[in-house]
Amino acid sequence: MATVEERVKAVTANVLKLNVDEINMNDSFTADLGAESVQSIELVAMFEEEFGIEMDEDAALSVQTVGEAVEFITDVCEQQGVEIEE
Amino acid sequence: MGKVKKKHPLVDAKRPNLLEDIFPYSLPPMIHLEGPVIENIDGKPVEFDFGAVKDRPIFISDTTFRDGQQARPPYTIEQMVRIYDLLSKLSGPNGVVLQTEFFLYTKNDRETLDRCRALGHTYPECTGWIRAVKGDFRLVKEAGLKETGMLTSCSDYHIFHKLKFRSRKECIDSYCEVVDAAFEEGVRPRCHLEDLTRADIEGFVLPFVDRLMEMSQQVPEERSVKIRLCDTMGFGVSYPGAELPRSIPKLIYKLNRECGVPSDRLEWHGHNDFHKVHVNAATAWLYGCDFINTTLFGFGERTGNPPLEGAIFEYIALKGDLCGIDTMAITELAEYMRSIGLPIPDNYPFAGRAFNTTRAGIHAGGLRQDEQIYNIFDTAKLLGRPPRVAITDKSGADGVAHWLNEFFGLKGDDRINKIRVHKLARWVIDQYDVEGRLTAISDQELEVKAKEFYPDYWEKYKSGK
Repeated sequence: MATVEERVKAVTANVLKLNVDEINMNDSFTADLGAESVQSIELVAMFEEEFGIEMDEDAALSVQTVGEAVEFITDVCEQQGVEIEE
Repeated sequence: MGKVKKKHPLVDAKRPNLLEDIFPYSLPPMIHLEGPVIENIDGKPVEFDFGAVKDRPIFISDTTFRDGQQARPPYTIEQMVRIYDLLSKLSGPNGVVLQTEFFLYTKNDRETLDRCRALGHTYPECTGWIRAVKGDFRLVKEAGLKETGMLTSCSDYHIFHKLKFRSRKECIDSYCEVVDAAFEEGVRPRCHLEDLTRADIEGFVLPFVDRLMEMSQQVPEERSVKIRLCDTMGFGVSYPGAELPRSIPKLIYKLNRECGVPSDRLEWHGHNDFHKVHVNAATAWLYGCDFINTTLFGFGERTGNPPLEGAIFEYIALKGDLCGIDTMAITELAEYMRSIGLPIPDNYPFAGRAFNTTRAGIHAGGLRQDEQIYNIFDTAKLLGRPPRVAITDKSGADGVAHWLNEFFGLKGDDRINKIRVHKLARWVIDQYDVEGRLTAISDQELEVKAKEFYPDYWEKYKSGK
């Protein structure tokens, strides 16, 4: 199974139409990767689908960087008993 | 930079102060007035107590069937009876819309009046409207009306250029003959001082009104002359310091306190030629005129009259209470008027299709969190019109979420959150970014997509409807 980081980057690349290799942990979804308003919503929705979790809307949308997303999703998976590869 | 005269320390708070005494939401925003207000008249300061309006018996009168009808093809009898019925519902048991006036000249005019009265409503009371011609009182008497308006034009534009009188005295004598005829017939005359805001107030209007007041002493109070202040061309000015004849405060002062016409015999009739029509009417209330004359949706000669619905919400704001008014009738009236071809612009306050529709995503975001942020009052409760969002490329996911929740009728925790609307939000964005669309997306288009993307919600909330 791929790690959370790999899966987050893969979803991000797919939604934002980027190459996975271009995505770094410190990248901001909006400032560096160019996510627009609707794409931010799509990212959260796709993360939920990818990991089989439900995220709090306001908390999820306040996540700024790829690294923060990895950390946030890891926490939610643990809280909701979803198995992941760290 | 100006010199600081007073420091204003921050009053920090952990809980919001929503000023609910002024913005109760269940009612329109209140207008709390502090007095006294000073107007300099003839070199002397004169006090007006605006706060008294809360307890003063003020009223709305209606001229939808007279001035309102001068701006459009005639209504059918059935249409007028339906409108009158709804006006009565709006007015309520206290008669806030106290009177409405009718033409009396044709068979249809008279049949309309009879059929409206046959409905048995107490309010609005039916009054007539005639020329200042003695013979016309026969029509008023035959119709069994207690009061009629009559044209008594008072600017020299009208006296000399329209009516061709040879002198002001000849004009006044002629008008007074007709007033006498009204008294003889037992009808209360309401003298319409046409073109008042372009008249010689000291030289003609006040002497004429003095004479009317003297004449009124011959008759019982209920038949004494009422005065309608007609701002025929919309020249009236509401703010203090304006000169006569355009100053509404000074006009009312002169008639009310110099000529002695009681407030309950003064009525303001405005026109909207300079976009001042509603505030001018409300100003007349504050300065001592008990009646303001209005039409539904402001529809009237040229640019129109004070809108009745605007007066209704002003009334509630000044009184602090609905006073028996059924505001839902405004929406019924708007729907009925549209159905018979009266155009009401989409952005028209209280009645337009989009009066409480927001297009900006950031506003939709506010609405989604708390509708009070971008809604003027509880428009669902008072008008049956919840706030809406029109969907364009500027609506964002917030706007789409608001639309979707309203469409499915979801409230509180049942509402679909922003994340769940991503498919519909993406479709909306692609309409503009990919398809090159330049128009707003209609409800019908969104409904098709809502069914496609949210079949479970559709099944639960829409399939049975």
